Amino acid sequence: MNENQNPRLEAAIDRELKALPNLRAPQTLLPRVMALIEQRVAVPWYRRAWQSWPMPLQAVSMLVLLAAFGGLCFGSWQLMHAPAVASATTEAGGWFKLLNGALNTLGVLANALALAVKSLGPMVLGGIVLAVLAGYAACIGFGTLYVRLAFARR
Amino acid sequence: MTDAQEFETFMRNYQDMVFSTAMRLLANQAEAQDVSQDVFLKAYERFGELRESKTAGGWLKTVATNLCLNHLSRYRSRWSFFSDLVGRGREEGDETEIEFPASDDVEADLARSERREIVEHALQTLPPTQRVPLVLFHMEGLQYDEIAAKLGVSMGKVKTDIFRAREALRRKLRLKLGEEELAGAV
Repeated sequence: MNENQNPRLEAAIDRELKALPNLRAPQTLLPRVMALIEQRVAVPWYRRAWQSWPMPLQAVSMLVLLAAFGGLCFGSWQLMHAPAVASATTEAGGWFKLLNGALNTLGVLANALALAVKSLGPMVLGGIVLAVLAGYAACIGFGTLYVRLAFARR
Repeated sequence: MTDAQEFETFMRNYQDMVFSTAMRLLANQAEAQDVSQDVFLKAYERFGELRESKTAGGWLKTVATNLCLNHLSRYRSRWSFFSDLVGRGREEGDETEIEFPASDDVEADLARSERREIVEHALQTLPPTQRVPLVLFHMEGLQYDEIAAKLGVSMGKVKTDIFRAREALRRKLRLKLGEEELAGAV
């Protein structure tokens, strides 16, 4: 199709389109934009997007953030090497032991459940799966029926 | 003069150009007005640079074009779904239009403004898949590959869509303006 481009048509369309003057913008456009700008100006700087903050405030806020981040990093490093932290870590280890015990118990329960399922045999398992699927299909079916009845056009 | 007053003057100078760009790409007055509003709000954020800039017009046009394309791509799934159907429908519609008596009765000396109105209307009744690449090519001066990149389609599709758009426009204008009016292009 591209080989069939008509240069005369292209030139004529180009001339017609380029000759089009600008359309007149609706009279409501200018007041709308100016009203929105006024609204924006009325909003205090701290409630505006960071990008629209005055440049000095942007610089100060960036410095404050960098200082806070640096302080946090330094504080964490100091804390990790403080002697008091070692005892706290030991205490926290006790909590983790409790959690570990609970996880072990859950693991044993899961193993017991797996053994019980294995002993049921494939027929029973298949039956259970079928029953679950049938229940699911019934839910969808009854739900659809309910929606159709409830929102039926009168 | 305050900033707001200066911006108002700036906007008065460019609002028709921005609105025209948006209107020709979107073919919908309300949407074009919304996009124009967004363009000028962005311009206000950068008014410090733009007020002295000689390329402010180009900047506004580029932003308007990009915002229009973003706007269109938001509805792209719906747009592309309907475009073929609508395109076909409109092309068939064009065939029907041609069945009306040809342009013998049309006055040869149509007023310039009237003629432009006809072209403008014909342009705005093109389906978006044809109108958008056509406007980008002829009015925004973009090349095929640039249009393809902006629209996220192949260059072949851009060429085909522009070809179809010109043909559709030719049919519409031939019907309204007469054969000789298109400078023998038909």
